[in-house]
Amino acid sequence: MGEYALLYILFAPFAGALALIFISNRQPLLVRSVAASAAFVSLLASLYLFYAYDPVKGGFQFVQKYEWSKQLGISLHLGVDGIGTPLVLASSILLFAGIFVSWHIKDRAKEFYIWLLILAAATIGVFMSLDLFFLYFFYEMSVIPMYLLLGMWGSHTKKYLEMTDSEGLKLRDSVGFILNFGSNSKEYAAMKLVLFLSAFAVAALMGILLIYKYSGLNTFDILVLREQANLMNIPVLGTTLDKIIWVLVFFGFASIAPLWPLHSWSPVGHAAAPAATSMLHAGVLMKLGHFSIIRVAFEILPETTRELMPIAAVLCMFSIVYGGFVAFYAKDTKYVIGYSSSSHMGYVFLGMAALNYISLSGAVIYMFAHAMATGMLFAMAGWVYDQTHTRDIPSLGGLSNKMPFISVCFVVGCMASIGMPGTVNFIAEIMIIVGSWDKYPLQVVVAMLGIVLTLAYLFKMMRGLFYGPMNQKYSHAHDAISAVDRLPLLIMISISIGFGIFPMRLYDVVRSGVDPLVARITRVVPVAQTHEESGVRSEAVIPRTTSTVPVVASKLLPLPSQVSRGEGE
Amino acid sequence: MTFSLNFALSDLLLLLPEIFLTCWLCVVLIVDFSFPRVPKERLAYLSVAGLVVTLGCLAWFDMNHVSGTLFGNMFVLDRMAIFFKIVILGATILVILASIEYVNRFTLFRGEYYCLVVMSALGMMFMVSANDLLSVFVSLEFATLGFYVLVSYLRDDLASNEGGLKFFILGVLAAGLLAYGISLVYGETGKLVFSDMASAQPTPGLIIGFLLIFAALGFKVGAVPFHSWIPDTYHGAPTPVTTFLSIAPKAAAFAILLRIFLVALGTFKPLWVVLLVAVSILSMTYANIVAIAQRNIKRLLAYSGIAQVGNVFIGLAAGTKMGNDAILFYLLAYLFANIGAFAVVIAVSQAIGTDEIEDYRGLGRRSPFLAFAMLLFLLSLAGVPPLAGFIGKLYIFVAAIKEGLYTLIVVGLINIVISMYYYLIVVKQMYINEPIDPSPIAISGPMKTVIYVGLAGTLVIGIYPQPFTDWVVSATLMFANFIGPSVTVVLPVHSLGS
Repeated sequence: MGEYALLYILFAPFAGALALIFISNRQPLLVRSVAASAAFVSLLASLYLFYAYDPVKGGFQFVQKYEWSKQLGISLHLGVDGIGTPLVLASSILLFAGIFVSWHIKDRAKEFYIWLLILAAATIGVFMSLDLFFLYFFYEMSVIPMYLLLGMWGSHTKKYLEMTDSEGLKLRDSVGFILNFGSNSKEYAAMKLVLFLSAFAVAALMGILLIYKYSGLNTFDILVLREQANLMNIPVLGTTLDKIIWVLVFFGFASIAPLWPLHSWSPVGHAAAPAATSMLHAGVLMKLGHFSIIRVAFEILPETTRELMPIAAVLCMFSIVYGGFVAFYAKDTKYVIGYSSSSHMGYVFLGMAALNYISLSGAVIYMFAHAMATGMLFAMAGWVYDQTHTRDIPSLGGLSNKMPFISVCFVVGCMASIGMPGTVNFIAEIMIIVGSWDKYPLQVVVAMLGIVLTLAYLFKMMRGLFYGPMNQKYSHAHDAISAVDRLPLLIMISISIGFGIFPMRLYDVVRSGVDPLVARITRVVPVAQTHEESGVRSEAVIPRTTSTVPVVASKLLPLPSQVSRGEGE
Repeated sequence: MTFSLNFALSDLLLLLPEIFLTCWLCVVLIVDFSFPRVPKERLAYLSVAGLVVTLGCLAWFDMNHVSGTLFGNMFVLDRMAIFFKIVILGATILVILASIEYVNRFTLFRGEYYCLVVMSALGMMFMVSANDLLSVFVSLEFATLGFYVLVSYLRDDLASNEGGLKFFILGVLAAGLLAYGISLVYGETGKLVFSDMASAQPTPGLIIGFLLIFAALGFKVGAVPFHSWIPDTYHGAPTPVTTFLSIAPKAAAFAILLRIFLVALGTFKPLWVVLLVAVSILSMTYANIVAIAQRNIKRLLAYSGIAQVGNVFIGLAAGTKMGNDAILFYLLAYLFANIGAFAVVIAVSQAIGTDEIEDYRGLGRRSPFLAFAMLLFLLSLAGVPPLAGFIGKLYIFVAAIKEGLYTLIVVGLINIVISMYYYLIVVKQMYINEPIDPSPIAISGPMKTVIYVGLAGTLVIGIYPQPFTDWVVSATLMFANFIGPSVTVVLPVHSLGS
């Protein structure tokens, strides 16, 4: 197994999807167990990957390279570094959990699992691609399954059913309908998601093609491009080429992240999606954006990144505050969680913008942590929806009587999402905040405000769903009793708390990926006029990879405790 | 100029596929007349058998690198011609298999239908081998003749007759333009063979002549200012004919365009790049926007076909060897996706008797296989990985960006997003909407074969394109001699020094 771990992780879900095609929907148990076992293989292999990854050695490991097209210079080049490894793990955990969360799907279960497996495999593919072509290939491949999952198994929002259309249902296919932003149907959500993501994806593709052309190397290989491509100082259209490429790549991928002005597809998509899809969507699909920015913009254009990343630092404030406020006023459980996710992704951008070891590691750990926390919340919102067929918070209440297990898990999920000490989110948040303080104090203050907002809207939703007087209409609702229903929640909770208490492994792995990257970005002597980043450059003296572990042990551990006292969660 | 008609008998070997197919055509015709009681299905299989043998012969040619010219350079058999012949014959075989059921709708002349299809295929085989303007004219008209009849084959159907008439009138107009263009070019240069024209000077007469020829060929491929016949003809024609029309003549006309632009006009590249960029942008943008409003799947696919042609023009505008490879690859990907999509349309219309997109409601429940196949074909046309269309589009974009055609690529990329919308509207009808009549849809055996072949092609080319790229790269090797140095990059790169 060993060196082929990546292939197992990537192709097990594909193989599962392929096998499912030949199984009839009349054997629901077989369908589910095939899907579950494909996901299980993937999960086992990624656990192995996570623990077999050698953080001391660092760099890209488990590399697989197969030539795919000579003419175009494409090879299937897979490999993970410290940034990809935890995200691959998060994807396979959420896939495995998602399969159990959607265990009770009756309608076309086989097709559901096929698309879910393809979606997860495609996202996993992005996290391990070392070739720009395959990065885009898997990225774009993850979009279409979302359309079908939302459209076929999703649900309309409450408003949709009240919506009247003077010319009847037919118009719901029209362009005017798509442009009507008041609509709330799942078809609208699905179409908006696909068009939005594709539109920005092609912008990123343009950036990739420009890299390909101007590097002149006739290859899409990231490792070759980052060493050899010289894209700096080419004047184009009144600016320089590297800036154009960077902007295309950054905003192209930031749309899926979703960064503030580009976020509008995301909460709508969350709201329409079935539980397992929301989990994957919020848990890992959104991280494709950050990850691809790190992989493409940070690796290939380090100097431009240093120069232009303040854009992200500005926009992330709006993400955090806007998402938080909308989540506070939203009445729909999935909108709340959806906007909370888009708000929380602002932290990741903050961590990325600060561009130092602590904040960027914090950002990567936050991606992992957020995947678990938001996965839990969406799984439980899905459970509540399945039981009550509504997501309208004001009409729900007092469900803790009926579903004690779910409400306890929900509290844990909220705590994780807020960043309570003891969960891995806490460590990540603290690292982002501490790491960014020097460079962006204003943003850190905003991020603190965001934490308060998170507290406010999650508690509001928790009270609305589980406490207070109970609506008798929902007296038939019941708890998650069987092992199948409890398993996914328990897995995610235990990972979240487990890494919260023992974060060293995660930290080491992430740090081994972040260190060379930050060193690369801050080390390079600036070509242009810049004269103010001396503070950043001084840190660049730390040598690459080899000494990460000692640094880790001495430097990080005191951090969380020190700051947590000051902050008073 | 001398037309030397001296050739050794062994040279006729190069014509073997065409000669064999002509004989086979006669055999089919004779069988049809002599045994009127033979079920017409058997004629279909008989034609397919002949086509398969021809295909095998061409494959043997390809493997043994048989090539050469005949009749004073009028007829050329090179690897690109073989490639296109294989594509055309493959399309013909699939179309015949897909029409077996449909033919029962014709009241008369069911046997002749197959003969006409094979005859058109034969004409197109000559088209892709045409190496001078006269043989272009003759073979093009020969191929189109069959189509004039085929389009109006549903005698009692008004739409079919209307489509046939439009096709005929505009087709004849195009033929007139072509003849006039040829006469101008001949008058200016005194040459007819493409490779002799490479040294010509760009006089106004020559430019007008080539513009007229381009207009005629633009009519064949359905590029935008010359596209007006396409929607009505595609809509009215019997669906298998539409299928055939949407692939084979386009491929054949592109073979001619490649030869004209890269061999005859290779030295004028800075002049024609502008023309091709304009045509490409118009085709993609216009067709994709108009396709959004379509309610009929055949019209939707017609407009999608126009948009795809716009994409192919990007590769032609690149005007390099790589651009050529990309075009060949793209046509291969387009062949499988388009035949597959039309095969599903035929199968659905056999079952429910309509082609309206509305009536695809709930196809995912009525026939999961058809819906899934249609999904993959449409996504391949839209250019979604891991399907063939995506690689095709990417190949074309890579070829174009190497030549610095940034505007064209930006427009092409935006059009991918626009096209995604209308393809997904069909997907939405099939998968998201619930069927009104949930009865399952039966599919005949030959139709299943066609769809399976389409699926296999779409997936295999998308997932493992290496053998196919190798094939197209070796097929266009002979162009390497004609293509000059690439044009200077459009953007003011390196102007400020570094």
